Amino acid sequence: MIEVRSLTKAYGPRVAVQDVSFTVNKGEVVGFLGPNGAGKTTTMRILTGFIPPTTGEVKVAGFDVLDEPTEVKRRVGYLPESPPLYPELTIGDYLGFVAELRSFYGRKRAEKVGSVMERVGLSGWESRILSSLSKGYRQRVGLAQALIHDPEVLILDEPTSGLDPGQVMGIRELIQNLGAHQTVILSTHVLSEVEAICPRALIIARGRLVASGTISELRAQAPGGLWYYAELSGVTAPRVGGLPGVAEVEPLGEPDGPWLKLRVRAAQDPRPQIAAAVSAAGGQVRALEQRLPSLEEAFVSIVGREA
Amino acid sequence: MNSTLRRRLAYGSNATLVTILLITTVILLYVVLEPYRVRVDLSADQGSVLMADTANKLRLLQADGETVTITAFSAQEGKKEAYFKNRALRDLVEELDYASPIVESQFVDFDRERLTAERLGVTEYGTVVIQRGDARVDLKDRELFRRVGKGADKALEFLGETAINQAFSQLMSDSRRTIYALVGHGELDPEDREPGGLAELAAAARQEHYDLKRLDLLRAEEAPRIPDDAAGVLVLRPRVPLTAVEEDLLLGWVASGGGLMMAVEPQGVVPSALGRVGVVVPDGLVLDKLLVFPYKDRPVPRYRNHIVTQALADELLVTVLAGVAPLQASVPPLEGVRSTTLLETSRDGWIERGGALLNGEAQFEPEIDTKGPAAMALALELSRDSGLVKRGTARVLVLGDADVFSNALLAEGPGNVTFAVNCLRWLVGDDGRLSMVGRPQAVRRLTLSSDDLAALRWVVIGLGPMLAVVLGAAMWARRRGR
Amino acid sequence: MRHLIAVWKKEMRIYFVSPVAYVFLAVYLFLAGVFFYLGVTLTGEASLRVLLGNLAITLVFVLPMLTMRQFAEERRQGTLEMLLTSPVPLAAVVVGKWAASLTLCLLMFLGTLLFPAVLAYYGDPDWGVVATSYLGLIGVASGFCAAGLFASSLIDDQVAAGLIGVVMLLPFWLVGRSEALLPDDMAEKLRDFGVLAHLDSFNRGVIDSIDVYYFVCFTAVFLFLTYRSVESRRWR
Repeated sequence: MIEVRSLTKAYGPRVAVQDVSFTVNKGEVVGFLGPNGAGKTTTMRILTGFIPPTTGEVKVAGFDVLDEPTEVKRRVGYLPESPPLYPELTIGDYLGFVAELRSFYGRKRAEKVGSVMERVGLSGWESRILSSLSKGYRQRVGLAQALIHDPEVLILDEPTSGLDPGQVMGIRELIQNLGAHQTVILSTHVLSEVEAICPRALIIARGRLVASGTISELRAQAPGGLWYYAELSGVTAPRVGGLPGVAEVEPLGEPDGPWLKLRVRAAQDPRPQIAAAVSAAGGQVRALEQRLPSLEEAFVSIVGREA
Repeated sequence: MNSTLRRRLAYGSNATLVTILLITTVILLYVVLEPYRVRVDLSADQGSVLMADTANKLRLLQADGETVTITAFSAQEGKKEAYFKNRALRDLVEELDYASPIVESQFVDFDRERLTAERLGVTEYGTVVIQRGDARVDLKDRELFRRVGKGADKALEFLGETAINQAFSQLMSDSRRTIYALVGHGELDPEDREPGGLAELAAAARQEHYDLKRLDLLRAEEAPRIPDDAAGVLVLRPRVPLTAVEEDLLLGWVASGGGLMMAVEPQGVVPSALGRVGVVVPDGLVLDKLLVFPYKDRPVPRYRNHIVTQALADELLVTVLAGVAPLQASVPPLEGVRSTTLLETSRDGWIERGGALLNGEAQFEPEIDTKGPAAMALALELSRDSGLVKRGTARVLVLGDADVFSNALLAEGPGNVTFAVNCLRWLVGDDGRLSMVGRPQAVRRLTLSSDDLAALRWVVIGLGPMLAVVLGAAMWARRRGR
Repeated sequence: MRHLIAVWKKEMRIYFVSPVAYVFLAVYLFLAGVFFYLGVTLTGEASLRVLLGNLAITLVFVLPMLTMRQFAEERRQGTLEMLLTSPVPLAAVVVGKWAASLTLCLLMFLGTLLFPAVLAYYGDPDWGVVATSYLGLIGVASGFCAAGLFASSLIDDQVAAGLIGVVMLLPFWLVGRSEALLPDDMAEKLRDFGVLAHLDSFNRGVIDSIDVYYFVCFTAVFLFLTYRSVESRRWR
């Protein structure tokens, strides 16, 4: 659905995005991660056709953003970082205007406005003036604006920033409830959001795409990656370290009575060997589990690694 | 268009080039199109663009490319009419500037730009100076504006274009022509400044580069003859019969192809030359029931289709005559003489031959009088077939009234000068310059009493803003609390 | 075309739900009233010449204030991003906005029709001249709206955009009055660039093809510049 190949965007001498390539398939929900100023917004603006790329090829729904921008725009719904609202207008007038921009007129226009307001939970608010709305509702109107024409591709730039937890939940639910035929790219720096709603994420830093993959793939990419947590009795740490395949053993804090807490790293899953060794030594196993680094850890390590 | 080209046009630095190109094209087109401008005048008196005749003269002046400089000085400030005068002059000067590339015109504030005034030697407010090479014509305020009507209807009319049009004629003809007016039989005299004189016509003719001179054949020292430099001869209402020698000289003049104008009065002397060209002057006086305000008691002629009267008819300018003798072309017409009626009465006109008066006014009486329309002026063209002309064609103008050219009537009838000048032009064969000369422009006044003004002030200044404020307040109330 | 109307409708709505339109209407009609009253009392002529001449000049200062928000504010609010990412030709946005400000001008002029009505009541105005004078005024408004729009597209701050607009329009007024400042022949040449030179004929009841060309091109060039400016600011 979205194909980006060696995309570079330079503003004069300043390079905002450099040689970024990725693909997003139809129906995917992809999180776009990166620190502030990493080039997320620039990339998204290029995807929507708002700004042209300097070099590289960007195709959305099979159309090149430079050659057929109108076709691209027709298929994309876009919510910029701050919702694009005219403070003087009422919600109804505003969405009506957006519907007309999307070429819905007359009955069709009223229909579209009504249905999108219902979807974002604004029913009955037609005559409220936009400037009098709270941040959460503004975000909803912004989302309604992006959704009004049932776009194939939805691009959301930090849709939950600045909202209170309840509002965040609401927006997330909305995104999750989008149909399977809609492809979504959403940028955020709230990692839990990506974990909650995006099966896949792209991490961008200083203009470069530094990692991409499913959430667990990304977590596994953290330094050291996978490790194992063990609470054992009856054995010593060096004994575990001597087991075949175990690369490193590190005690985690003070022992809890007879229980030894260990972080074990190994090339292959060492749990059967550890269990066998413990029972051979007459000890007991209280916990023995595989652990992944948190996404935060992965993010910091991936972004930091590049520095 | 392929995509790379399109990209380069839309996004590349070529965008700047395209922009510059567009602006250059727009400006170039302006320069190219400017000489071909079309001006449509929607004003009521059509006074905003030049008359066809003035434009024509400008074209003729343009031929040798010499610049015509027009300097108009402002009217005296503080005088009641200064605003109108200045505006009218400024507009005219501008319009002349628009009309031709060879015209360089400026409007000068007489009070502030004393130097310009001194350089041109102008000492009066509202003077217009027209220069071309060494030639120069000055137009004074009284030639540019005139007062019409009386009392409450009193108004100012602007004659600027007429004046400038005449000035152009003056600049245009480089050679002066001489027209002789026969004297010695009580005719209208070109040097006579009395109401019955011809001095005003002589002045108007001078503007056209015609010198109107006296021709006294009776007191000639040698054998009397018509001078060689004559372009035309006028015989305006002789009171005593011409001598046989004079009659012969006139016929000889016509035979040589010269232009002759003769005017008679009712029951007056009729030169025999008139009869020879086939014009009969019946007894009686031309009268007309149809009178045109304010020329009461005077038959106001209708114009027949002829180049002499065309412009007058177009512009609805009235020519005023006094005491007109009826004229008739012989029936059947003489061979080789083409006769055209220039002026005649309406259908209600008649030739009065005495009889009873009703309420002190003459009436049409079928048994004595002759029913109109009655001709008051004829234009004849004599070819060789007539046997009267030896080479070319001769022009003869016959008028039933000479007073039409007199100092008194020339100032009274709005069309009289034009008619007179056109007659002279036709007579000497200046057909190219035969056209309309006058077109006054009225000034629209607004008369307000002080009560009107007081009421007006509040309506005009208050109403609009109040309406806007009320609408705004209504909208604010509607949106409050949403 | 329907997009253009959509943009126009939105602009009109914004004008009329905010105090902008009413304040402008009130101020403009007040000024017009004063000019008219002075014109009538000073000249004693049944003509709108003084009024309309002055109104054209006030447009130099008024119109940039009317158009200043149009792109500056869109950009500041981020709504420009929405407009440009919807499948609407930029030309429709530019022309729609221009048409909206021109419409507001026309409404202001509609308010001034009171004055010819007063003239007709007390005197006998030349309706042909009144009509062409208004036509000229509309020409000026059209051109100035486009120029103001261009100013608005140059900068994000709307007050600055308004000032730029005024500064941009001033020369078009002043070259008609520059005889005192510049050498004669130069002033003469520059005069044709000015607005006043092209209003004279209209104010005298004459429609001149070159004046029509001037105002049409004035408008078109500034609309084109606006288009370019918005377009290029996307990628610079």
